[in-house]
Amino acid sequence: MRPTDVHPELAQYGSCTLDRDGCVTCGDVAVPVVVLEVYEQEALCEDRAGNRARIALDFVPEVRPGDLLLVHLGVALARIEGGA
Amino acid sequence: MRYVDELRDPRLIRSVAAEIARLADPDRHYRIMEVCGGHTHAIYRHGLTELLPPNIELVHGPGCPVCVLPMGRIDDGLAIADQPGVIFTAFGDMMRVPGRNGTPLEHQARGADVRMVYSPLDALKLAQANPEKHVVFFAIGFETTAPSTALTLQRAKALGVRNFSVFCNHVLIVPAIRAILDSPDMRLDGFIGPGHVSTVIGCRPYLFVARDYGKPLVVSGFEPLDILQSILMILRQLAEGRAEVENQYRRVVPWDGNPAALRAMAAVFELRPYFEWRGLGFISQSALKIAPAYAEWDAEARFAVPGIRVTDPKAAQCGEVLKGVLKPPQCKLFGRECTPEHPIGALMVSSEGACAAYYHYVHRLATAGRSDRCARQQPV
Repeated sequence: MRPTDVHPELAQYGSCTLDRDGCVTCGDVAVPVVVLEVYEQEALCEDRAGNRARIALDFVPEVRPGDLLLVHLGVALARIEGGA
Repeated sequence: MRYVDELRDPRLIRSVAAEIARLADPDRHYRIMEVCGGHTHAIYRHGLTELLPPNIELVHGPGCPVCVLPMGRIDDGLAIADQPGVIFTAFGDMMRVPGRNGTPLEHQARGADVRMVYSPLDALKLAQANPEKHVVFFAIGFETTAPSTALTLQRAKALGVRNFSVFCNHVLIVPAIRAILDSPDMRLDGFIGPGHVSTVIGCRPYLFVARDYGKPLVVSGFEPLDILQSILMILRQLAEGRAEVENQYRRVVPWDGNPAALRAMAAVFELRPYFEWRGLGFISQSALKIAPAYAEWDAEARFAVPGIRVTDPKAAQCGEVLKGVLKPPQCKLFGRECTPEHPIGALMVSSEGACAAYYHYVHRLATAGRSDRCARQQPV
């Protein structure tokens, strides 16, 4: 398995990963991730390459493990269809 | 659930390309602007121009915040960076953008404490870890980036972190689209709308494009099939005499955007009366400043910002490229004096810049023996 195959369903939302997210000032190519664990206002998330990071959930309510999120600069901007 | 294989399926892509060719009126020349730099990169990376009929021209828009920031604002930021006791933080993309007296990296080499951060939240953590210093974050970006800055300022206020401030350069995409539509030297038939900006602002802010200017706008995803399907949706509207805002990227973009992010932005920012855009000049109500309730965290209120205005290098034609009047290789400096290794204009510095995209995906192939239709297109 190639590293980018950890979550192949994320690839349809752009090619960016948490460690290679294109131009951060633009952010119009944000990073799709899968939610692994949810804390109070943060979630541990994993991108398609297997990179993990804690993501702020202030702008996306009621996040659950298995949800797919679109993330920019460590902050979730949208929940995307296809998750749990 | 759709997988990326489907969005890059050659059979599906050929089918959509064939439908585009069937719908395109051979007696008409179509000019469609992709507003977002991410789309520009995807178009070149996947060679999508090769799949379109020769009378469909894709025009690169102003959707790169680094590219549209005038050099004077970089000098203003670096004037703050040179102050004693300041840690000046910026995104990696900004570190090589030249001001009049060098880049942030060069200021760092001369002794300024300039540091790269991934997120404004990281800059806030740096302030908490360095209470004897004042940390300034160089905020830049469209509506995808502004919510993170807003959240950071809300947290700074809630936590009482007072050795932190933001030099705010956030700009808004909708006034830029309006300025392009009002530009007398621009003739466009439709727009491929930004993908992830629209997750925040939704689709409603674009309605004026169809209502007031009679142009179709289709919010698009970033995969090859997304972009081709968006072009097809624009052509269908034109063929049927319609002008509407449509959402091709419904799997991500809600029609009403992200209300929580919009509320945070409304609480922290207010509109500037006007702001200068490189290549587009001054555009009214096109940028954000920090609201009075957060003035304590506003670097422009805290430091004496000189308000420098700098004319771009005369030979560089960044403005014409930003407005879509010229293609990157039609600039006199492109690929010669101005390259990604030695950029003169911001469009070559930023990885989202049209010139950098063209250089990486077309120019290098062309110089290796391949031709490209874009390189032969004439200025309008």
